[in-house]
Amino acid sequence: MATRRDFLLMCAAASGVPLVASDPRQAGGADVPKKGGTLRVGFYIEAATMDPHFSGSKIDRQVYHNIYEPLVTLDVKLGIKPGLAESWQQPDPKTLILRLRRGVKFHDGTDFNGEAARFNFNRMKTEPKSVRKGEVASIDSVDVVDAYTIKLNLKRPDAALLATLTDRAGMMVSPKVVQERGSELERNARGAGTGPFEFVEWVKDAHLLIKRNESYWNKQGGPYLDRVRYRPIPDDTVKLQSLQTGEIDVMDYVQPRDVAAVRADRNVVVVDVPSLADFAYQLNHTRPPFATKALRQAVAYALDLDQIVKGVWLNVGVPANGPIPPTSWAYDKTIPPIKRDLAKSKAKLAEGGQANGFTFTMTNNNIPINVQEAEVIQAQLREAGITMKIKLVDSATLISDGNNKNFEMISYQWSGRPDPDGNTYQFYKTTQGTSLNWSGISNPQIDALLDRTREVSSQSERRKLFSELTKILHEELPMVFIIHPIEPKAFSPKVQGYEPIPDGMMRFKDVWLQ
Amino acid sequence: MLLAVLAALAAPLLAPYDPLAQNLGNALARPGWAHLLGTDNVGRDVLSRVIWGARVSLVAGLVSVALAVVAGSLLGILAGYCGGRVDGLVMRLMDAVLSFPPLVLALALGAVLGAGLGGVLVALGVVYTPTFARLMRGQVLSVTARDYVDAARALGAPAWRVAWRHVVPNAMNPIIVQASLSVAFAILAEASLSFLGLGIQPPQASWGSMINAGRGYLQQAPWIVFGPGAALFVTVVGLNFVGDAVRDALDPRIRG
Amino acid sequence: MGRLVLRRLGATVPVLLLVTAGVFLLLHLTPGDPIDVMMAESVDATVKETLRRELGLDRPLHVQYAAWMGRLLRGDLGRSIRNGEPVIESVSRRLRPSLELALCAMAISLVIAFPLGIVSAIRRNTTIDRAGATFALFGICMPNFLLALLLIFLFGVTLRWLPISGYMDPLEEPWNGLRSLALPAVTLGLALAAVVTRTLRSSLLEALAEDYVRTARAKGLSEWRVIWTHVLKNALIPVVTVLGLQLGTLIGGAVITEYVFALPGVGRLVVDAVFARDYPLVQGVVLLIAIGFILSNLIVDVLYGWIDPRIRFR
Repeated sequence: MATRRDFLLMCAAASGVPLVASDPRQAGGADVPKKGGTLRVGFYIEAATMDPHFSGSKIDRQVYHNIYEPLVTLDVKLGIKPGLAESWQQPDPKTLILRLRRGVKFHDGTDFNGEAARFNFNRMKTEPKSVRKGEVASIDSVDVVDAYTIKLNLKRPDAALLATLTDRAGMMVSPKVVQERGSELERNARGAGTGPFEFVEWVKDAHLLIKRNESYWNKQGGPYLDRVRYRPIPDDTVKLQSLQTGEIDVMDYVQPRDVAAVRADRNVVVVDVPSLADFAYQLNHTRPPFATKALRQAVAYALDLDQIVKGVWLNVGVPANGPIPPTSWAYDKTIPPIKRDLAKSKAKLAEGGQANGFTFTMTNNNIPINVQEAEVIQAQLREAGITMKIKLVDSATLISDGNNKNFEMISYQWSGRPDPDGNTYQFYKTTQGTSLNWSGISNPQIDALLDRTREVSSQSERRKLFSELTKILHEELPMVFIIHPIEPKAFSPKVQGYEPIPDGMMRFKDVWLQ
Repeated sequence: MLLAVLAALAAPLLAPYDPLAQNLGNALARPGWAHLLGTDNVGRDVLSRVIWGARVSLVAGLVSVALAVVAGSLLGILAGYCGGRVDGLVMRLMDAVLSFPPLVLALALGAVLGAGLGGVLVALGVVYTPTFARLMRGQVLSVTARDYVDAARALGAPAWRVAWRHVVPNAMNPIIVQASLSVAFAILAEASLSFLGLGIQPPQASWGSMINAGRGYLQQAPWIVFGPGAALFVTVVGLNFVGDAVRDALDPRIRG
Repeated sequence: MGRLVLRRLGATVPVLLLVTAGVFLLLHLTPGDPIDVMMAESVDATVKETLRRELGLDRPLHVQYAAWMGRLLRGDLGRSIRNGEPVIESVSRRLRPSLELALCAMAISLVIAFPLGIVSAIRRNTTIDRAGATFALFGICMPNFLLALLLIFLFGVTLRWLPISGYMDPLEEPWNGLRSLALPAVTLGLALAAVVTRTLRSSLLEALAEDYVRTARAKGLSEWRVIWTHVLKNALIPVVTVLGLQLGTLIGGAVITEYVFALPGVGRLVVDAVFARDYPLVQGVVLLIAIGFILSNLIVDVLYGWIDPRIRFR
């Protein structure tokens, strides 16, 4: 029972406060991790590809983090810790030297070393189908210094690079597998990784199976599980019921509406995982009405974030004060979220030349909780004299409307990145053509700040810059920020040793079954 | 069913609350004297929304089928009357529409036309058109083979008048039967479309969109789904009985 | 007979042409772009452009259509944009669960519809008839997803008799496979049962009004015997029609049931493809569904001739 209490403590701790990792080895006398068993995992959708260099969807990463390993990894506080690279140093802002771990073998038996690492970076940079190009753009070239040391020569200082290497851009694939069956890798990752689990098979639409890597380099802790079986279950309600009836042991996400009920269920353990996400609405600066700053502010002051977070999200998240989530070291809790102030909203309406209110359209994804949020926002704005129409579309249309700036206000739910750079730069930096800067904001002060955050490497100095940025965003409002959601995951009580890292990825290395 | 029509017409009088008035503090309230059917996930009165939803749902069913009847009948008459190439072309077109998976057709049409009631109406209208076109063509062919139509033609009556005078009245009965059933299906289809994320825009509500919004709360607050579900069920059952009754009444062999 | 079949097959060619052109046009009119959907979080515009060029998505519409048709004539349905898998493979993998589900649903509908339809016809306009009609309507008047969720709640969660999600192939694991199909098949089967019951009832009533039935009755045969020996066979024709027409619908149209029960069927494949704007996949699946629909119509017509030889000569 001790571990079950640990889980519950975690849930209690999770409402915004940083989490303490529960080390499975300290889980108490009788509960010593044991080997064996198959973990059955339910995800809302199945993976798209097994090739980390070609992957463009979040769900793929859930599998990758068990079969592949990045050069560096994240800890629960989003700090960078050694992965396939044992240590690193930065002699100057444009050079990063990584010392690689010795004795690591890919699942196909080949050695992981400097040459393999260079092969991977070159593949990411040059392969036509590579989706990683943007993430490794700051890397000019890779030198192999000795068998287990590589040197990344950068085009420009990039303070966010290490954090980027904690995910797909840092994942190492066996060069032999790529050379021999590169095209097949998308569907079959046998032998390709170095991780605690090996790819076994992927029966499309049915399941994806991985098994324990018996010769895993890290002899501390797991892997304990014999196998992990992933299954796609698209309907949230059905997925939850599958967990409650014991058809699966783990599910990736519990809807806020189900959280209370699930907490009351003794057959299910919920772990709140604070996320890196920020959910917001982009306002189109390139056309009326939101080309006028005062009208953007009128909308921001009319919103009651507390009510939205409480009423729609049922407190499964915290009101957002900007793009950077509370899980990040760069989060500045002294900046409060914008408070509702109807008088101020009215004044801003008058300032924007619309004293009697105005009408605009919100474009949103047709997902129940988004619809609910839209309806609440609509009611709140009505109290300020602003009429909001709601246009519901599927995600393909949403993305195309956003890219083409064919909207007035549009939902944007960013899953977040470990470094604050990933939550800011691409959204607010002046850019031409398609980018995630859908609002079209172009502000020299913001541009300069953003560039600066990449150049300085001291964390405390970057933190100040991001605080400054957040304050300017409150004024300029390329987006109205709503919530930093928590992503609750649910387990069967027999699942032990899960460590919730805020990137939401489920790493099963130290997980075991009671 | 009559009740549904009544509710649709008299919604402003009948509804105890404003169907849009939210009260987040009173969300998911159980049915009780204050809210006979409880409240939904943002604290709106379910009963009031069911009553107002009757409008949208009935409009979705009636208008889309009306569109299909008109378009289908015109195409059917055209095909049956002109024959030859026109017939071939129209009917192949109808076959093509018919062999499309209906949900995909509606989904794609809805996406092209933009979300909202208009898109749903047209999408459903197109889906049901071939049924009526086939029906009408069959009627035209059987009627035009009859002597009195030949006679009218021989007397030099223009084609459209012959069609209007002789063909349409004869074809009306089966079309009414088919239409009453199609309305039922269209109301259901609207619910299915809202499940797939294509439907009317909030804060407006149809029974289908209410059921869809509430289905995630089936365990915590089944009343959100129960109200509109019951309304939908009763209306569709009613429409089916009407269809049967009309059919029985029109077919003397079955009567009695 | 053979010539009739051939002629009918010939007539389907223009229909299929219209279907492919229609779906092509419709898809490309729909806002959204497959590459944008696939790489929603990636911002490198040149990667997207390269991919578009490689897939030919930057060419004018009619060129794209011609290229697709050209490949089709060589028997190539193309590859999915999202995962690069040949369309024909995706479909054939999904077809089996869909077919099994459709057949199970039909079996269930017949089990329900036959007794109900016959009793309703014999005891027409009695309470039994009305009760039967209402029961039959139950399945058809309830939105699919609601019925599915209720069944899951009752049999999966409360009683725990049946699994609520996932698919196992009954041909490989008969018992577990059938169990995995039970709830979805009932969901679809109840709606189908309503249609079949109605059809059976009205065609029975029609047949009962025929002269030869009167003769049979006059011979003093019991009503049940009359139905069993004389009427049922004739009344079967409309039932076969309905089932035949529904087979196509069941295979391509069981989207919601497949979605709720996490079944990997054709319906979900095509709807997911529409949402991903995976053009080649949608085009391929719609074409195959259309062919299936037309073939099942044809089979129904052939069955007609088999059940009732008189029809052959009409």
